[in-house]
Amino acid sequence: MSDHIPSPVISRRRFMANSAVTVGALAGAGTLLDACNTSNTSSSSSSGGSKTTTLTVMYASNEMTKDYVAEFEKLNPTIKISFIEFDQTRLDAMLAANTPPDFVRGGGVGSANITARGLALNLDPYLEKSNVLKKDDLMAVNDTWRWDGKKTGQGSYYGLAKDWSQDGMMWVNNLLFEQTKVPTLSTSAPTTFDAILEAANKLTVRKGGKIQVYGLDPMWVYCSTNIMQWTLQQGASLYNADLSQIDFTSPAAQKAIQWYVDFAKAHVGPSPFDPNPDGAGNDTPIFQSKRLAISGYGYWFGGVVFTAPDDVKAKSSLIPAPQMGPTRVSACYAAVGAWIPAASKNKDAAWKLMEYFMAGKPAHDRAKSGWGLPSLKSLFSEIPQDLPYQKQAYQTTQNELQYFSVLPDSPYLNLGTLNTTFDKYMQQAVKNQISVSTAAQRITEDSNKLMQQAKQHLS
Amino acid sequence: MVTLAKQEKKGVRGQAGHSTGRQRRWSRYSNRTFFLFIAPWLVGFLLLTLFPLIYALGVSLTDFDGISPHWHWIGLANYAELLQDADVWFSLSRTLLYALITVPLSVACGLGLAILLNQRLRAVGLFRTIFYLPSVVPVVASAIMWKLIFDRDAGALNGVLERIGLPALTWLVDPTVFYALIILVLWGLGGGMIISLAGLQGIPTELLDAAAVDGAGPLRVFWNVTLPLLSPVLFFQVVTNVIFALQTFVQPLLLAQSGIATSALNVIAVPRSNLLYMVNVFEQIFYNQRFGYGAAMLWVLFLVIMAITILVLRSGSLWVYYEVDRDKDR
Repeated sequence: MSDHIPSPVISRRRFMANSAVTVGALAGAGTLLDACNTSNTSSSSSSGGSKTTTLTVMYASNEMTKDYVAEFEKLNPTIKISFIEFDQTRLDAMLAANTPPDFVRGGGVGSANITARGLALNLDPYLEKSNVLKKDDLMAVNDTWRWDGKKTGQGSYYGLAKDWSQDGMMWVNNLLFEQTKVPTLSTSAPTTFDAILEAANKLTVRKGGKIQVYGLDPMWVYCSTNIMQWTLQQGASLYNADLSQIDFTSPAAQKAIQWYVDFAKAHVGPSPFDPNPDGAGNDTPIFQSKRLAISGYGYWFGGVVFTAPDDVKAKSSLIPAPQMGPTRVSACYAAVGAWIPAASKNKDAAWKLMEYFMAGKPAHDRAKSGWGLPSLKSLFSEIPQDLPYQKQAYQTTQNELQYFSVLPDSPYLNLGTLNTTFDKYMQQAVKNQISVSTAAQRITEDSNKLMQQAKQHLS
Repeated sequence: MVTLAKQEKKGVRGQAGHSTGRQRRWSRYSNRTFFLFIAPWLVGFLLLTLFPLIYALGVSLTDFDGISPHWHWIGLANYAELLQDADVWFSLSRTLLYALITVPLSVACGLGLAILLNQRLRAVGLFRTIFYLPSVVPVVASAIMWKLIFDRDAGALNGVLERIGLPALTWLVDPTVFYALIILVLWGLGGGMIISLAGLQGIPTELLDAAAVDGAGPLRVFWNVTLPLLSPVLFFQVVTNVIFALQTFVQPLLLAQSGIATSALNVIAVPRSNLLYMVNVFEQIFYNQRFGYGAAMLWVLFLVIMAITILVLRSGSLWVYYEVDRDKDR
């Protein structure tokens, strides 16, 4: 008698069949378990007679702090916040899966990309009913969040800015001007870009192949919005009437590109050819340590100045946005705030958070801090004016407000794309591999190709 | 007689039937156990690898933008476009060059370190730990550290160059940023070192002693005994390193200038030298919102990796020595 039991041979066909059964069984079990799961990210549940809503919020935790979340939950006992740190990739995935958060961080400039796709909730009905946020109290910067179906700046509101700056304005460390005997720049009249590049050349201090003091940072990473503003200042526009085409070959646009190329070639400030030594790329350490004379980051950078050493604080001033042409334009390049996805399952609760965050304690705290201008007219008086530089910045800003303008924003082209396209060809122009006119031509061709695809996509 | 024979036959049949039934039960039990044991991997593979792969193939045939419900089937248009996209070919060539430099360097340097650390030295454990440590440091931390070292104005590397009378270099721009990237990647070769070290320690000392007794010098022993016995380990490293090198993505972004406009991972200001294929894919998907095009690029990369891996595997028969094969031949 043989007790030998042969080991089973598993054929490929059998393996496939049994695998399918196993996966099917586990997937089925997963579905059943999922059905039992009550911790949905955006859910409403009833317990003890009161209905609790869980609001999924995707924001930056240094802006919507735990304290604010706790206070909001205290003020609204039926709403609980499930907080997710802002992550564009994750947001994209959630939007694609049609399970977006209920309240999302975002910028007004560039918002056409989401509004034209029908992803954002029209806030007009909420604004009309609200006792906290009133349309006539909204600063003009909130127009960057408006969309009428064809263009930004008019129509319904699809989001609100939390704070903002006229980002072409620049902070100046006059201490470095004095040391290099360069005449200081006017805080009332705008200077020209030629003059500011000349000053930057004189302010830059080099030693042994290194740069000890940078003359100017005109924000290479914001090159697309800068070029848009500088073109407007020359009385021209980059886009055609229906925002479906862009043209950088006009003399005005080429002049703007040429300036950036000249700036990079001069090696007077951070660019891909002279990486910002602070690592973060936001000028904070180099301005505070007196290694940067002019920073092009607008009013919000006043928060950085506030934490700078006393001598820097005492000698800092905010100057109007320099001009490249006769038309004064001083736009906002971001208008960061919040929007509520159209597919949110808790729109009313999300609006309550909008009211709290844009007009409640967080808004008052932001206005008082100097980190950006408030987006509500009623909060403007809370801007800090205790220190001389704060007073000066406030006065210059008050005057600059009249030149505010909403930058054109095409739903067919996002700013990230535009920035990378600019960067690619401007770098080649700086290396003299191509001329500025060729760079302008290629930026135009690449951008229009993408815009055409996006237009077909949205049609 | 006939009756007896019939009874015997019946008994054998009964015994055989009993045995077949047991075998069948055992077979069923074994099957069940096998599939239950492999189920976690199988589910992971099917749901997290095969399904995304097929899904990406589907997406690559659309103009999906990744965020909205608007999309259309566009057939092979994305593939046709990428064949004519100069940036795709440029980034692919940079990636192949990068792999061609980093793979042999990392395997050779890892082996070199392993040989050094396989000696009977005092505090060899401490040295092994020190050399292995960089490979457990998160890539973001090591990239930031190297970015500071490479900084032109305040970096340690330029400090050293100045001390020896050489001019300061702007490391993080074209073309030197490519070398910076290679240095950053080689910094984490401790993983390969550990694998090689384990391989070295698995070589029977009798073989080395026998070769030495036969009059072979240290170099000859290494070349004729150590290296062939270590070749499967090195082969494994070559295959995995080639795959990792072709998928390199985070390091070039971390070495680039970041900015508040686009948070930490910033395609803007990635110098052209470091425009690797995956950086290009990232740009297409998350900057240009061309998920369909990006998925097509990923599929092309998948096929490229597959082709190169097959080539490397085929080349194994020329330079990899397997004891198992030898025994089989005998």
